[in-house]
Amino acid sequence: MGNFDLLMQGFGVAITPMHLVLMVAGVLLGLVVGVLPGLGAPNGVSLLIPLTFTLDPTSAIILLSSMYWGALFGGSTTSILFNIPGEPSSVATTFDGYPMAKAGQSTRALTLAFMSAGFGALLGVLVITLLAGWASDFALRFGAPEYFAVYFLAFAAFIGMGSASPVKTVVSLSMGLLLASVGMDNVTGEVRLTFGFSELLGGISFLVVVIGLFGIGELLATVQEGLKFRGVSSRIDLRDVFRTMAELPRYWATSLRSGLIGIWMGITPGGPTAASFMSYGIARQASRKGEPFGTGRPEGIIAPETADHSAGSCAMLPMLALGVPSSATAAVMMGGLMIWGLTPGPMLFATKPDFVWGLIASMYISNVVGVILVLMTVPMFAALLRIPFAIIGPMIVAICFVGGYTVSGASFDLWLVLLFGLVGYLFTRLDYPLAPLVLSMVLGHKAENAFYQSMILSDGSLKVFFSNPLVGSIMALALALLILPKLLQLGGRLRRRQPVE
Amino acid sequence: MTVRRFHAEIGAAIVTGALGLAAMIGATELGVGWEESGPQSGYFPFYVGLILVGASLWNLVAAFLAHRATVAGHARTGEAEEPFLDSARLGRLGRFLAVMLAFVIVTLVMGIYVGSASYIAYSAWRGGYRPLFALAMGVGFALALYLVFEVAFLMPLLKGPIEPLLGIY
Repeated sequence: MGNFDLLMQGFGVAITPMHLVLMVAGVLLGLVVGVLPGLGAPNGVSLLIPLTFTLDPTSAIILLSSMYWGALFGGSTTSILFNIPGEPSSVATTFDGYPMAKAGQSTRALTLAFMSAGFGALLGVLVITLLAGWASDFALRFGAPEYFAVYFLAFAAFIGMGSASPVKTVVSLSMGLLLASVGMDNVTGEVRLTFGFSELLGGISFLVVVIGLFGIGELLATVQEGLKFRGVSSRIDLRDVFRTMAELPRYWATSLRSGLIGIWMGITPGGPTAASFMSYGIARQASRKGEPFGTGRPEGIIAPETADHSAGSCAMLPMLALGVPSSATAAVMMGGLMIWGLTPGPMLFATKPDFVWGLIASMYISNVVGVILVLMTVPMFAALLRIPFAIIGPMIVAICFVGGYTVSGASFDLWLVLLFGLVGYLFTRLDYPLAPLVLSMVLGHKAENAFYQSMILSDGSLKVFFSNPLVGSIMALALALLILPKLLQLGGRLRRRQPVE
Repeated sequence: MTVRRFHAEIGAAIVTGALGLAAMIGATELGVGWEESGPQSGYFPFYVGLILVGASLWNLVAAFLAHRATVAGHARTGEAEEPFLDSARLGRLGRFLAVMLAFVIVTLVMGIYVGSASYIAYSAWRGGYRPLFALAMGVGFALALYLVFEVAFLMPLLKGPIEPLLGIY
């Protein structure tokens, strides 16, 4: 059966009254977490996962992914209206979005953002639809060494391509791996690194860590700035919406280019945040005429938004096909999948086609639902930010702790949420990236297992990672991603320095 | 009191390095070598810990180098090193954290409902709301938690000594 038939079958799964209600609910919840500082997509999804245990996996993933789209939309809303990025990936949207809104064109700015976000997302889903079957066939040829090589590739891409200092990324990654290895070792059954704490025997749940790192951590960062929201008018004028839509085709080149950047960064683990910055930067370089960027240029909104959303949706492809998520939120969702008893990877396509294609089909629908809903509800959600922080802040804190507790009903987890909140704050302030920590925590066991099995295959020789063309080329690509970007940067810096000296 | 970025960087590097070291020590107890069936269970954590220690040392040195550069720059341009937390921010953060810590402790003793109700009521009251309104906010929030988690999703939350008296288990 071709991808198209499978997709149609997926639409059959996705379009039921129950699933449509879940999509609307998910998008609305996502908008709430996207708008509120301290509640972002990764920990919004983490907070929701314990509540999905009663749903069947297809409904659950539709709810969670819809929440993700909603959060992405919500993040752009606050960037434009309040100059506060609700999500790290919508930081680049503030550069031109807020100036445009301040100049009295908030409807135009929001419509540009939402429409290009929707376009980016649909472009991403289209790529997933086309590549999904092929990617899973490809991944079926994988053995343990190939899997380890792919995990290594994901880690290497974070180190080489991330915007943070590579050494700090290494710190994040290895901390995640160590946190994942606490508790029962699933190969030998030995108890590791609990240091006598019986509470740690079961391991540390990545959900608790995400809630602390992203929830409490970001809230602390907001508090120290002494929250002052200065929003611009959030009324939506329907005529402006249509006028802006008519204006969109003029920017087709920017949209398409940004969409492609997003797709690339979404499939390789660059992530939506890096994609939006990169796309903004390239759009600025590509334009030569008109007002400078940063003063409310339409391209300055279209570029980051399109890339952000196409990267966000494309991040689902490696997660489903290879079991390697390329964004923090995708990592959390993959953890959810494993909790529901599904194994992400190529076999998922063969054993659970309804799940995979239902999800892909739902991505089309819920993104369209998202664009419509967000345009309708912007004034309402913008009002959320006008609630004084003395009330909304503690409520977010309480929700985070309650969410941490519901993961496994352990009161020790409350301390972990607090601890990781402090870590998250410190790491954010010092430019340690958080996404690699989450990724490596989710992948830790799988990476270690794959390494262990490869070592058994080869009697402990590292040559197994170069033993056939497939694994060898993945490893070579990983090493190239690890070293090349920084080497090129260094080279560029040296060349620039020479004429000066 | 002002915390400089330099101090924060050093603190972070020391903490992450200590974590790596702890993992290495913990892994050594499990055995980090090879046995017939493959690597021992401490093998993976040991080397990851080693990498973490190495990266932390690198960050430590980088922080010192950056500090020296800014101090030298300071002498030239008169520009001070960027503060990590000035006293106003430190105060705000400290107060918020202290109340949060109290919330966690109250929650562990009295349960989530009492904990969150009193936490939100206290914060709203400190935020300038009338005591009665603040209390209503707190109780309303706890009630919403109860309806969402226990009634709608059948998920029990942590309870203290008060809830059984009200007939809630």
